[in-house]
Amino acid sequence: MNPYAKLILTLSLLLGTTITISSNHWMMAWTGLEINTLAIIPLISKSHHPRAIEAAIKYFLVQATASALILFSSMTNAWFTGQWDITQLTNPPSCLLLTTAIAIKLGLTPFHFWFPEVLQGSSLITAMLLSTMMKLPPTTILFLTSHSLNPTLLTIMAITSVALGGWMGLNQTQTRKVLAFSSISHLGWMTIIIIYNPKLTLLAFYLYILITSSIFLTMNTTKTLKLPTLLTSWTKAPMLNTTLMLTLLSLAGLPPLTGFLPKWLIIQELIKQEMTTTAMIISMLSLLGLFFYLRLAYCSTITLPPNPSNKMKQWLTKKPTNTPISILTSLSISLLPLSPMILTIT
Amino acid sequence: MAYFVLFLGIGFVLAALAVASNPSPYYGVVGLVFGSIVGCGWLVSLGASFVSLVLFMVYLGGMLVVFVYSVSLAADPFPQAWGDRHVMGYVVGLGLVVGLGLALGGLEIKFGVETIDSVGLFFVRLDFSGVAMLYSCGVGMFLVAGWGLLLTLFVVLELVRGLSRGAIRAV
Repeated sequence: MNPYAKLILTLSLLLGTTITISSNHWMMAWTGLEINTLAIIPLISKSHHPRAIEAAIKYFLVQATASALILFSSMTNAWFTGQWDITQLTNPPSCLLLTTAIAIKLGLTPFHFWFPEVLQGSSLITAMLLSTMMKLPPTTILFLTSHSLNPTLLTIMAITSVALGGWMGLNQTQTRKVLAFSSISHLGWMTIIIIYNPKLTLLAFYLYILITSSIFLTMNTTKTLKLPTLLTSWTKAPMLNTTLMLTLLSLAGLPPLTGFLPKWLIIQELIKQEMTTTAMIISMLSLLGLFFYLRLAYCSTITLPPNPSNKMKQWLTKKPTNTPISILTSLSISLLPLSPMILTIT
Repeated sequence: MAYFVLFLGIGFVLAALAVASNPSPYYGVVGLVFGSIVGCGWLVSLGASFVSLVLFMVYLGGMLVVFVYSVSLAADPFPQAWGDRHVMGYVVGLGLVVGLGLALGGLEIKFGVETIDSVGLFFVRLDFSGVAMLYSCGVGMFLVAGWGLLLTLFVVLELVRGLSRGAIRAV
């Protein structure tokens, strides 16, 4: 892609995110979201493959609809209350509409159908941007309006997101789609606790960004787009595959690793709020996700795969040392002992 | 006068129905033209004459003209028309949606110029002074909106460049 175009688009992505995060007025929040949507469309369709173009169109339609709904919700609220403050959304139809609009923007069930296909159509780095940075403005709006959202709808969407993220991820062989469903499942975990303790939502979100970024960057280094490639990727960078296994198990939420921290705190907060059944349901539904994470972890550490690795030359490939991957991976594996400090920061 | 404004409102809904159920962009654009005309009329009935005229000029005179020129280059020689049964199905279906909205929402008609007191601009024409404030106090929003529009241009240029090697393979 033309470097100047790429520069403009990347700067606009940063600008849009910054505008939405730092906004007090609904118009600025909406403007930031629209700038983000526009700027990432050429990045998704960069490869000009028909699947990439279709992914770009799907992304644009879904995000434009959600932005329009956000605009309608804020305008209805301004019509009835006379002010445009983000934290003062009090009109009940506006609150319901905003909950739905944020769910569409993030990719919560039942509005999640676009997400795996958009992720599958984009390159690995663009998929990483879509999963991490493009979720930041809607999550910020969710955090700012957490007291105005509709709790019943949010809880239903969160539980079904965890369920469908796990269930539909089981049948996938393309790694980008697996990570899309893992994203949907994690969004369900983030959304279930937003009413009771919004800071835990942000904590879950930050740790999710950390772990998902390290997974996407690792997969970008070994170019694993599907499961058979993952089976033979140990020949390209053996140490990277070991850490990929640990990072995947961290994303699954297994105890000594970082990914356990948000799940643990969310379950604790839900039990404190007398929602033990909900906590039990989402924990059990996360087991579905655990199965495909285990399958990915198994495939990344296997040394005698069923498919032949005809190229012996891969042993001699010298991959340059990659600082971001090493930092993100070590953080996403071993951050759990620091949880008291993390709790005081967030 | 009151019934004229009601007619404008009904015309807006019908135009939206026409746009949503169009068999081809040539017929959809007719709905857009009609919808923008009655929408501008509705804005005038609310008292916002300046923004209504600006909308007229920019939307009909700018965007729709460009749209019509570009659509005429990518012409469909035998488009489906309104009378076809397939299209009529869409019109009837979406008309039922409109009827549902009418039944659930009810027909409330508010008339008159509602002067809203906004930041002390009570006695000045609201839309005029609002636009003036966009250039003075609201210059941050103005710059951001300007950058958004410029970005749209770059995005569109990036998406359509490359002839058949680009994103649009039919060219």
